[in-house]
Amino acid sequence: MSVGGSTGSGTRARDLLTVDRRRILVTFGAAILVFLVGAFLHPGFASAASVKAILVIASFVGLVAAGQTFVLLVGGIDLSIPWVLNAAGVLFATASLGRDSRAAYALLLALGLGALVGLVNGLCISYLAVPAVVMTLAMNGIMEGLTLGRTQGLTCETCRSYAPPALQNAIHAQLAGIPVQLILWFGVILAVTFILSFTTFGRKIYSTGSNAVASYLAGVNVRAVTVILYMLSGFFAALAGIVLVAYSGQATLGLGDPFLFQSIAAAVIGGVAILGGRGHYLGAVAGAISLIALISLLQAENMPDYGRSILYGVAILVVLLLFGREERT
Amino acid sequence: MSDETRTTPAAQNLAIEAIGISRSFGGVEALTGAALTASFGEVHALVGENGAGKSTLIKIIGGTVKPDAGSVVIDGEDVTASGPRTARRLGVGTVFQELTLFPWLTVAENLFVGREPRGPARLIQRRKLPQRAAEVLERFEVNGINPRSLAGSLPLAQRQMVEITAAFMREPRILLLDEPTSALAEREVEWLFGLVRRLRDNGACVLFTSHRWGEVGSLADRITVLRNGRHVATERQFTEHEAVTLMTGRTIDRMYPDRPALPEAESEVALSAEGLEGDVLHGVSFELKRGEILGIGGLAGQGQPELFLSLFGARKLTRGQISIGGKRAKLRSPADAIKRGLAIALVPEDRKTEGLMLPMSVKDNLTLAVLDKISQAGVIRRRQELSLVGGVAERLQIKTRNAGLQAVGTLSGGNQQKVLIGRWLLVEPDVLLLFDITRGVDVGTKHDIYELVVNLAAEGKALLYYSSETEEIAQLCHRVLVMREGRVISELSGAEASAEGLVAAALREGDR
Amino acid sequence: MSDMPRGTATLSPFSGWRHSLAQNMSFLLSFVILAGLTLLYIGLFHGQLNAYPGTFEWTSVVNTAVPTVLVAVGQTIVVITRGIDLSVGGVIDVSNALAATHMKDSLASMVGWSLAILALGAVFGAINGILVAYGRLQPILVTLATLAILQGLAIWILPEPGGLIPPSYSNTLASTQGPWSLCFIALVAVAWLVLRRMTIGVRIFAIGNDESAARAHGIPVRRVKVIAFALSGLLAAASGLFLAASTTGGDAAAGDVYILTSIAAVVLGGISFYGGRGSALGSIAGAFVLTILTNVLFFAGINPLYQSFFQGVFLVIAVFLGVILGRLVKAST
Repeated sequence: MSVGGSTGSGTRARDLLTVDRRRILVTFGAAILVFLVGAFLHPGFASAASVKAILVIASFVGLVAAGQTFVLLVGGIDLSIPWVLNAAGVLFATASLGRDSRAAYALLLALGLGALVGLVNGLCISYLAVPAVVMTLAMNGIMEGLTLGRTQGLTCETCRSYAPPALQNAIHAQLAGIPVQLILWFGVILAVTFILSFTTFGRKIYSTGSNAVASYLAGVNVRAVTVILYMLSGFFAALAGIVLVAYSGQATLGLGDPFLFQSIAAAVIGGVAILGGRGHYLGAVAGAISLIALISLLQAENMPDYGRSILYGVAILVVLLLFGREERT
Repeated sequence: MSDETRTTPAAQNLAIEAIGISRSFGGVEALTGAALTASFGEVHALVGENGAGKSTLIKIIGGTVKPDAGSVVIDGEDVTASGPRTARRLGVGTVFQELTLFPWLTVAENLFVGREPRGPARLIQRRKLPQRAAEVLERFEVNGINPRSLAGSLPLAQRQMVEITAAFMREPRILLLDEPTSALAEREVEWLFGLVRRLRDNGACVLFTSHRWGEVGSLADRITVLRNGRHVATERQFTEHEAVTLMTGRTIDRMYPDRPALPEAESEVALSAEGLEGDVLHGVSFELKRGEILGIGGLAGQGQPELFLSLFGARKLTRGQISIGGKRAKLRSPADAIKRGLAIALVPEDRKTEGLMLPMSVKDNLTLAVLDKISQAGVIRRRQELSLVGGVAERLQIKTRNAGLQAVGTLSGGNQQKVLIGRWLLVEPDVLLLFDITRGVDVGTKHDIYELVVNLAAEGKALLYYSSETEEIAQLCHRVLVMREGRVISELSGAEASAEGLVAAALREGDR
Repeated sequence: MSDMPRGTATLSPFSGWRHSLAQNMSFLLSFVILAGLTLLYIGLFHGQLNAYPGTFEWTSVVNTAVPTVLVAVGQTIVVITRGIDLSVGGVIDVSNALAATHMKDSLASMVGWSLAILALGAVFGAINGILVAYGRLQPILVTLATLAILQGLAIWILPEPGGLIPPSYSNTLASTQGPWSLCFIALVAVAWLVLRRMTIGVRIFAIGNDESAARAHGIPVRRVKVIAFALSGLLAAASGLFLAASTTGGDAAAGDVYILTSIAAVVLGGISFYGGRGSALGSIAGAFVLTILTNVLFFAGINPLYQSFFQGVFLVIAVFLGVILGRLVKAST
């Protein structure tokens, strides 16, 4: 009954725990649960080394999920991630020719590619009214064709280039016991969280996802916001591709395939609404960790490939049934 | 909380008997022991403020919502625990605020959903649909709607007419109407009333809710007033004053405040339009002075929303010039307009709260248009934001537990509207374009809004005002421009600009 | 994000054909594109080989198109309900694998297994539908998960490409002598037209338009969704059977490529992913467009590695054209 409630007078702890925030906490809780169950079934599953390894794998998903989260928040989707990732990875390797001196150049080129693809996606979706599903699906095919064609199926001369050694070493290094890859991810988490929660741009993202028309009338440049978000998605996909190539040393084909599903699943499990307007990257982070922990647990059970695939699908369904249900209308 | 399933002899003519109805949503009590009885051969009006429970009660009677307590007896049968299908079986028809038209099906397909003409092998004869639909539309005297049009492409008023036609087609014995006239203009309202009266004369029971007192008075045989989820009174007649008192629990002596004095002739022109031309507008010109409340009248759908949107840079103009504060302005987007000191509070046709972001907090909704003011280098400054929000929430008396956390979607309708207006007040505009801001708002809040409008004008702001209720325009505005088919066909002020005068001008063929 | 149809209400009363044109613009476009591509194919073929495509070529086009047609029609039904079915690839995989490992060269075995596999496809589809409708999960996520499950299942049934399809099965269904398999396409087209005129058809369109309005009309929304997904599964299984017949062998990963192909066919057919409108006849045209496009690219001498590139560009242009034409029609009224 109070009037214009400003700051804290009467703010209960319960109020601070909004539905969205609760969801993020629950998802982190789920991740912890998986580790506990894993430790029970396989002693050592929750050891420091094992947790680090799992987190590193999760970080790749997490990088891609950053871009996907941005796009999902405005009610879009980016299905071009697999081959943007792959193309950027290949470009990075072939442009660097395995030399440290060319590392910065290759890095910029590959990241630029991701951003450029995102720009094209964003422009067609915003200004030409091509539905996101169609545009990004088509773009995925375009990038696949370009990559395969230009590298002759990755059989070209420069294709066997290694990533610059300096970067390879950096990615595998540890700082105070923490893998550099995780520190990188942490930096991304800070940046994305900052954008979403503390900047006017973040406010515009949520308002666009919630009600694009009203946002437009309120002076938000909805189209520009959308284009920027798709650029970010392309950027993060490229970043993931670069990091993956640095991690494994060489570029391969099909590098990006698992990440489409995993990035969407991670975000949705973490509370990001597939229709937009709700959710936060922190949820996607929790979702990525839960997902990868689960997969690792399944792999520890030593099953054949097909069994893993089946259990993977079943596990996702279980997680969705527990956490991903829409509200009853 | 009676348990009667038998009807007493005296109640044999009762179509609806709802007793002791209680229902809450998420901890908020919408209805507490509410009751209503209506007979066959009667038109019964259900009135009350927003949040009084009218829509909830009517939905419970229609079976789409189940009560937590109480009983509903329809034509002698206890339907408390049943759903819409039972209601249909008993001959209950409904037209609710959420239209049940399918936007991508044609009008014809919509009218015959579930009752399509069938041929051999029970296959639907799709080819016959337009002709059959045309016959139905003719029988119900609906003009100007092409049965082949996609339902979603029709303006809201026509969609409502299709929905109404579909309900009447089924010849219901009991008809429930929730705010059926909200998007209809006078002529269409008369059409509906004709249908309702005919249905009543055929022995049906019609129960309807409305905010518009004029309609209630002319149509209803009996009126029930709800307040705060409870039944307050049922009579054959109330005066408007009595009704308002019963609905609000307080006396509002006069609904409309005094208009501020007309601005001086030398008063600055805040907004002027010359020869605006677009896909809907034709040669619209006017001048709006500081301190003036200029009304835009005319039947619904004559270009008023397009005018407002064009003035705000949200719609393209092929020709014409807009000047703000004497300076020519080229408005390419709402962002441009806001920078020039314009603000628009617009409640679009179909969804009452489409101006708001429902899952976002009150605070976020309020500050959306002034993000530059509360941030530095793109980073939001918490304290500045909160103090700004606190100020406007206080001024408008927005009731919220915590502006920073409470989602706007959980506020009452009136409060939501205040948030929308608050967003635009924060812009501190020179010119305010107000489009149907009182639609769907309860009486108490309406009064508050009228006071606000008048105060804003007294402060020297220039206001452009449109409402689907002609009475409002007549009472609040200094001058009124009547629109028809995208043109301004007359300008009225003073005594001519009464509600009757405005309606007459809107219907006239047009004099320049 | 919802969308609303653009106004055609200002057209003069009863100008029937104008309305039909405006409302079916993207659908008609797909046939125009098909016609254009076919001519291009004939032209390029003639240019390269100095002869016109004959029975063999057309038969091969049809046989290649049929699996896409079947799965695209199923996808259409689901998309109209505002959903999407990514598990169709998995259903094809399983159907293919089962047929290759279990079908023997007797009429009873062939018919029996065909029916069993079709039923199984419907069951898989129904499970999707139940998870979406009763579990209240998003279709894109559910079907991605069931896809993974089905892919694993298929590999378990048939770990390596191989197995044997009875020759008489292949010859009857996927005859290489002439384009007889066109009858399957005709069958599916007729089935669609019948579906449109059945109660279930109206209901499928209704829930794609507006679920709550459908509920208000008394439509059992959840049941209809299950049926829609079941039909998709059924058609995917049929596609898998035909694929097995025409390739004469089994491959547990054969179906994966059809996921994107089915979506592309649906897009080319002018169906909107927002649901509520569109015709499977457009998807059939779209499926043929994709098949002939591959041939056109081949005869134009395009490096096959670049195939996805051209398909992607083509898809974007087709959608774009649809949008522009729609606006032009609206402007002319």
